[in-house]
Amino acid sequence: MTIEQTDVDGVPALFARHDGPMIAGLTFRVGQADETLAYRGITHLLEHLVLHGHGLTDYHYNGSTGAVTTVLHMQGGEDDIVAFLNGVCASLQALPLHRLETERQVLAAEESGRSGGPAESLALWRYGARTYGLPAYHEMGLPRITGEDLKRWAAAWFTRQNAVLWVAGERIPPALKLALPDGARRPVPAPTSALRATPAYFSGDGTHVAYDGVVRRGPAASALAGVLERELYRSLRQEDGNSYTAATNYEPRGDGMAVITAVADSVPGKHDAVLGGFVDVLAKLRAGRIEPGDLDAVKAKAEDGLRGPLAEVGRLPSRAMDLLTGAPLRTLEEIRAELQALTVDSLLPVAREMLDGGLLCTPSGHDAEWAGFAPAPVASERPIPGHPFRSRRDGKVSLVVGPTGIGLEREGRAPIAIPFAECAVSLAYPDGGRSLIGFDSLSIRVEPTIYPVPPDLLARIDAALAPVTVPQPPRAPEQIPRPEAPAGPSHGSSKPARSTGRLVGAVIALVLAVVALCCTGGFSALVADNSDPQNDIKLDSISIMLMVFGYGAFLVLGILGVVLLRRRDRK
Amino acid sequence: MTDFDPAAPFEELRELRQAVGRRDWPAVAARFAALTDPNDHEYAAGIVAGVAGSEDFLAACAEREPGTLARTLYAGRLISAGWEVRSSARAKNVSREQFATFHDHLRRAERILVGVTAEEPANATAWTSRIRVNRGLQLGQNEARRRYDRLSRHVPHVYAAQAGIVQQFCPKWSGSFEKARAFGLECLRAAPDGSLAPLALLEVYVEICFEEGNGKVWKLPETRAEVYEAADRSVRHPAFRADGYRALTAHNLFALVFWVMGDRAAARPHFEFVGEHGGGDLWNYFSPTDGRSLYLSARKAVVKS
Repeated sequence: MTIEQTDVDGVPALFARHDGPMIAGLTFRVGQADETLAYRGITHLLEHLVLHGHGLTDYHYNGSTGAVTTVLHMQGGEDDIVAFLNGVCASLQALPLHRLETERQVLAAEESGRSGGPAESLALWRYGARTYGLPAYHEMGLPRITGEDLKRWAAAWFTRQNAVLWVAGERIPPALKLALPDGARRPVPAPTSALRATPAYFSGDGTHVAYDGVVRRGPAASALAGVLERELYRSLRQEDGNSYTAATNYEPRGDGMAVITAVADSVPGKHDAVLGGFVDVLAKLRAGRIEPGDLDAVKAKAEDGLRGPLAEVGRLPSRAMDLLTGAPLRTLEEIRAELQALTVDSLLPVAREMLDGGLLCTPSGHDAEWAGFAPAPVASERPIPGHPFRSRRDGKVSLVVGPTGIGLEREGRAPIAIPFAECAVSLAYPDGGRSLIGFDSLSIRVEPTIYPVPPDLLARIDAALAPVTVPQPPRAPEQIPRPEAPAGPSHGSSKPARSTGRLVGAVIALVLAVVALCCTGGFSALVADNSDPQNDIKLDSISIMLMVFGYGAFLVLGILGVVLLRRRDRK
Repeated sequence: MTDFDPAAPFEELRELRQAVGRRDWPAVAARFAALTDPNDHEYAAGIVAGVAGSEDFLAACAEREPGTLARTLYAGRLISAGWEVRSSARAKNVSREQFATFHDHLRRAERILVGVTAEEPANATAWTSRIRVNRGLQLGQNEARRRYDRLSRHVPHVYAAQAGIVQQFCPKWSGSFEKARAFGLECLRAAPDGSLAPLALLEVYVEICFEEGNGKVWKLPETRAEVYEAADRSVRHPAFRADGYRALTAHNLFALVFWVMGDRAAARPHFEFVGEHGGGDLWNYFSPTDGRSLYLSARKAVVKS
């Protein structure tokens, strides 16, 4: 049984003979990585609009938007599949734009329920706010996408030449009419990079360790991901007992490369040892030590997946992606032969490639410079030239507004710069606040309540960023920063208590100082008063010591009181 | 004259130090090839690490020589050079520049050692160094323990690794005495007859005594019982290797502990074994000005009585 290659109405088609219920789909060479951050979500929104109207059937249909492909597929009877695919093509030609607002809200709801996995932020740090980094971002563009935008997006990407039909069943239904517009096969985007050196690391916000590396796609790379998973599982979970989950994933990127991702969680409190164990597992690969038993197990598991009547059917969607991205289509026999030929030695160059370009996400607060990882950039290489506006909340921070972009500078720290030409998105709040994200995924908040930027200058910033501006709903008053507002509730509650303590201390010290002065003064008067020889106190060493002590106490207590009062006034 | 030099009692180690000084790699490699006991190997590596100015020679060897020895020795020298810059002062008395240089040295060493232990997971000297780095770079209590466990999987009961964990588990490195004592007891209970493993618990008690600033810990019946048990199972046991380099370390420690416990009879054989070669960090704990003189006067008093 093999996959046959043909075409339907000018659309390349893949067909696998299959006795069960028919499964068919259309895969388009477009995905999140083709979007921009200001239009992030446009492919998903389009997919939802196109699928609308096919919801009353009893059969299973679905759509999925990936990084470089969008798939619309269905399982069912031949007539239903014909109706579904013909309907999808018709919808693409005449989008049901009356549904736009509803689907926008559906997507926003879907997004709020979505939680990115522990490995998601790796893409953001590796690629920035462009290309393969975009799937890590929320669908920020939804509020600004118009019907015209969607029509343009459909015309550019959902074309005959940029699609592949795939069918598993008894035949390709003759009634299929794939009425798609003409266009061109679109290559996958060239990856951008936000890293200046690799291997690199950044400190994550959890207790897990995540890692990825980019390798040449192929059976050796896929097997390496399997071997790495077994090594992580054995080392971190079975031997150290510090992790529960230790897993890897292998994902072709579409440009001849693939991304190997690995994640290990931490049992409570053990994340330092999970990081150390993870580093040592990578070092073992670097040292060329791959357990032959691990490779054998991975090969056996992969071969299992190539057996059985559904092997070809299951491979159809990924073959469709291969066809769209220009990857060679290989038969099951070829894949089996490649798999069998794999040796530990054939995995080593792939392992080195992965390690050299690796990106590590450490548990929160941990660095990995000790393990030879360079810190991923958290600041820009050059400041933005322009006029600084000092923060009303923190005198050490300035927002810089220049003719070419926006900068943020803090004393003693490297600057953050977002040139207008490299701004991925400007989220615009009705209160005037702007949240900017640069191509390198660094961000700056322009808050007119904090930085005294004149209105005309703010308008110029808005004009420069109009192509990437996304309007936002109003913020709640407490979300709008105020110059005098403390940074957090813990700050707010502890400060008055400390000031009150200082005030009480100062008052007590000053009262005691006055008491000491009065007593010593009185005593001095008695010593000086020689009128009554019977009760006279002599000016001897004891009385001098008492007076020195008394005046000293006055001075010390007085100074203490004044110091406490002054401290209290400071912010 | 009392000689506190760790190489002094051992001619071959004095020669090793000279070989490093004259940049004679074959002689260095030959000496280590003759050391089959991991405790001896680690001790000898410590002698090399203490040779001031050997960085360039060892760096060149690490670059050039196959195998893990040259890299392990170079990393060891980097760590020692780093600690020399940091000094043994409490953190608040160490300058920012000192810390930066110290950390830089440790990171460079660690990157080498990560590779060495990956290639050779049973390299006790490299793992012991990594436990030391773990402390200096504050990589964490669990990570220190993981390093120790990784080593123990291949080579259990390595003295310097256990001593390193005792340090890490003390309050000064973010641990607690309960944790340090539990580890010391674990080492004692698992110790093979005549091994160095019972020493870890003694070091915990010396740390407690130093921190508390009095001798109360030595008066507790369980402490005394454990110290005698430790002696019976290590230095006093027939299987104890009296010709191992660490025999000196062990006797020096028992001399100190029995002396501060006031058991002169028990202390005497240890002072006699150590002879002119006693002293070291733990003696300095009991004499902030001069641990040497303290050792000398203690020895004089004990051996005479």
